[in-house]
Amino acid sequence: MARVVVIGAGVAGLVAAIRLADAGARVALLNKGTGGLQLSQGTLDILGYAPERVERPLDALAGFAAANPGHPYANLDAELVGRAADYLCELVGPALLVGDPAVNLQLPTAVGAIRPTALAAPSMTAGACVDGANFVIVGLRQLKDFYPDLVAKNLARTDLPGGGRLSARHVMLDLPARAGEVDSFGLTYARALDDPAYRRRFAQAIKAVVGQGESVGLPAVLGVDDHGAWAELSELIGAPVFEIPLPPPSVPGLRLNRALTARAKASGVRLVPGSKVTGFRSSGGSVDSVQLATAGGDRTFAADAFVLATGGFEAGALSADSYHNLHESVFDLPLRRPEGHLVHGDYWGDPQPLFAVGVETDHTMLARHPGGDPVYDNLYAAGGILAGATRWQEKSGEGIAVASAVLAADSILAAASTATTQGAAS
Amino acid sequence: MKTLSADVVVVGGGSTGAGVVRDVAMRGYSAILVDRADLGQGTTGRYHGLLHSGGRYVISDPHSATECAEENAIVTRIQSDAVERTGGYFVATPVDDPAWGDDWAKGATETKVPFEEVSVADLLKAEPRINPRISRAFKVEDGSVDGWQLVWGAANSAKQYGAQILTYHRVTGITRDGDRVAQVICTDEKTGEEVRITTNFVLNCAAAWGGQIAAMADCPDVQVVPGAGIMIAMNHRITNSVINRLTYPADGDILVPVHTVCVIGTTDQKADDPDQLKIDWDEVQQMMDCGELLIPGFRKARAIHAWAGARPLVKDSRVGSGDTRHMSRGMSIIDHSDRDGLKGLLTIAGGKLTTYRLMAEKVVDAMCAQLDDPRPCRTATEQVPGSESGKNYVITHRLEEREHDRTDDQILCECELMSRGMFTRALQDQPKGSFDDLRRQLRLGMGPCQGGFCTMRATGVALETEHIDIERATGLLRLFLKNRWIGIWPILYGDQVRQTALDNWIFQGTLDVEHLPGPTHEEVV
Repeated sequence: MARVVVIGAGVAGLVAAIRLADAGARVALLNKGTGGLQLSQGTLDILGYAPERVERPLDALAGFAAANPGHPYANLDAELVGRAADYLCELVGPALLVGDPAVNLQLPTAVGAIRPTALAAPSMTAGACVDGANFVIVGLRQLKDFYPDLVAKNLARTDLPGGGRLSARHVMLDLPARAGEVDSFGLTYARALDDPAYRRRFAQAIKAVVGQGESVGLPAVLGVDDHGAWAELSELIGAPVFEIPLPPPSVPGLRLNRALTARAKASGVRLVPGSKVTGFRSSGGSVDSVQLATAGGDRTFAADAFVLATGGFEAGALSADSYHNLHESVFDLPLRRPEGHLVHGDYWGDPQPLFAVGVETDHTMLARHPGGDPVYDNLYAAGGILAGATRWQEKSGEGIAVASAVLAADSILAAASTATTQGAAS
Repeated sequence: MKTLSADVVVVGGGSTGAGVVRDVAMRGYSAILVDRADLGQGTTGRYHGLLHSGGRYVISDPHSATECAEENAIVTRIQSDAVERTGGYFVATPVDDPAWGDDWAKGATETKVPFEEVSVADLLKAEPRINPRISRAFKVEDGSVDGWQLVWGAANSAKQYGAQILTYHRVTGITRDGDRVAQVICTDEKTGEEVRITTNFVLNCAAAWGGQIAAMADCPDVQVVPGAGIMIAMNHRITNSVINRLTYPADGDILVPVHTVCVIGTTDQKADDPDQLKIDWDEVQQMMDCGELLIPGFRKARAIHAWAGARPLVKDSRVGSGDTRHMSRGMSIIDHSDRDGLKGLLTIAGGKLTTYRLMAEKVVDAMCAQLDDPRPCRTATEQVPGSESGKNYVITHRLEEREHDRTDDQILCECELMSRGMFTRALQDQPKGSFDDLRRQLRLGMGPCQGGFCTMRATGVALETEHIDIERATGLLRLFLKNRWIGIWPILYGDQVRQTALDNWIFQGTLDVEHLPGPTHEEVV
């Protein structure tokens, strides 16, 4: 039975860990912080812009990879990405992710832009921006990260991706999450809305402002533990309800994080939270173990294979020092560095080369020297650490993450079974 | 077209112009100040924030040293809300000659710059992050000053005396009537309307842009050389006092604590165009090396923003035209009646922010002399609006204010503790203001996250107040992100890369701001 250490508990690390554990591997998941899902929208993006808006992401992948040979999708074909998306849906269930990975939804953002994504929470899909849609966007006076008139007015003046227009108006409600609190976070509302009594009061206030035939757009705070909170609200209000994701911490992202973490535990993954990897040992071209600094002294985790799923610059997994030397934080892996300057001055211009920096892999997700051989024969990389993607611009983050995690896990399992077979043969 | 008239038109809304319009108004003249942009949007807002004790100039420019020492005390009193009395030190780093300190101390005594030599142990007690290999330290009365607060304080004082302040009014021409100035012609940049101001006297305080203004009145060849310097704001107060290197003035020799940050500066490069200042990676590296000398580990601290300012240096035939570091920092008044035969126009250049009030006094004295209308200056004794209490700024001011209103108001910018009320009041005063105009008053987006969380909130609140429509709100959001980036990308390394990745995730990833409906025109002001 293979022993695997997965480093990082974003969507890539969690998916890899679960897949490996379910296949019989002994898996330890080491994570330093909360994981990247709290930054996500709670959606699964595959490809939103290439750079034009993408309607059918799986169909677009082959052409996109051909045009961007250094992109992670060059190792992750459409069949794999579709399968990985389905796998994530299975893991979290239809209460948290729905949709067809082959077709993008076009959902409103908290500034009223229309954002393409492949899979979304069922609590979001009534916000699909299609011709003739009729929205009332409702804000909460005490929640400063959502301005319903900004959303409604921008949506209403947009020519929709599929043609036509929608209509949207806005209402601001004075509806505190906690009595006397004027400055509440999204998570405060989400916790309040887990409580059925608060939910009823909330629904009542909203029902009073909803017109005939309108769908109600709300900030994505409709419960965090109770995945059915939004559906009950919709029933109480008597109109379709949809959530619009907010800047982090993201409540829909947190729901996915909690669901996947629970699933990992159930699969027997050993979770070691709050653990920063401080060193590693290698011999004969393989990584043998990683170390954690803990209060009682160093702890060593030895394994047959390692998955590096620590994220990108936003997670501290990659860094650039004041001389623009680039660094990968756990294994000091060689990074692919674009030619020329790493940053340019045009905010609205081309993607910044710096953010395409990352770890290059072979077609099995083994981390390799840029353009060369694997660095170690058992160190795999998945997710935001991979070179070549500007995930936030392409809207490709989760698609890359889950597909690379599935591929890395399957490569580890295949290598383990080959080793077993060879062992048996000799 | 709109027509106005005033005894005096002041061109330029930096510290010089604001000081001059205040002085003119307090002497009883009707006055209008015009600036092509916001107050303090040029050099005044793009410097390191040092209110000089005079110590910097005791050897190189003794006269300036004495003026600085005197004006430091006056500005600290009359504009108390803009000044933090941080105190400062001159320190000999391991590469500086400690014996030079004796010359410096002699100079300081002669120029009446207050100082006291302190032990390195006492220095390290006060500023524990400083290089322990420092060999000598002198304590001085440096302070830090918010240039925008200073300018607005003077402008508001002028308004109380009846002056008009017209921001975003670009001067396009100055007409003459024989040998006298007749009219200043402006364009209102927000509306496109032409504004003609009939006047007797024009005080050209456009500093680095002064040559361009003088040329409009057919007074050619006024040579104001922009001496460009870069500054970098470091996250947090690395020190709480101003740290100066005990050397002859050089690049990268000052670290100034201003509000929530510390600013290192500066360089000095001749620039051709004050509107096109670059921040070279080499200059950033130079500042980092200088910082490392003062504060070991400086390179690992987080740089959050960089900017460049253009000193308005008057060309001096004694110094090579490329050597802006050693051109005079002193003030020059060019009287165009002698030089070009045009009465009613003075061009002012040079000088420094610390002595802005004194410069204004001399300029207005020169105007009164030309008009043969002597009137006494009163600016040194009267406090500006907002400074009546005489209480100086302290770093914890906003924290104290938020402690009082946190149960009644939201905090839109956590980095700078800016409340919703502060934002809506500033917007009420400047309904046509861009977010950068409001930033200069409120420090919106100036903290570690550089607008990551407050920009969307500012947009939403501005739209809610109904001062602006959706198209402008969206345009201002786009403009603010673009403008913040100008100061981020030149210093993008270390932890600010991580912050930028998070900010990009928010704006591009979550909000998809790039795909908001396109503007019919891009907001520029």
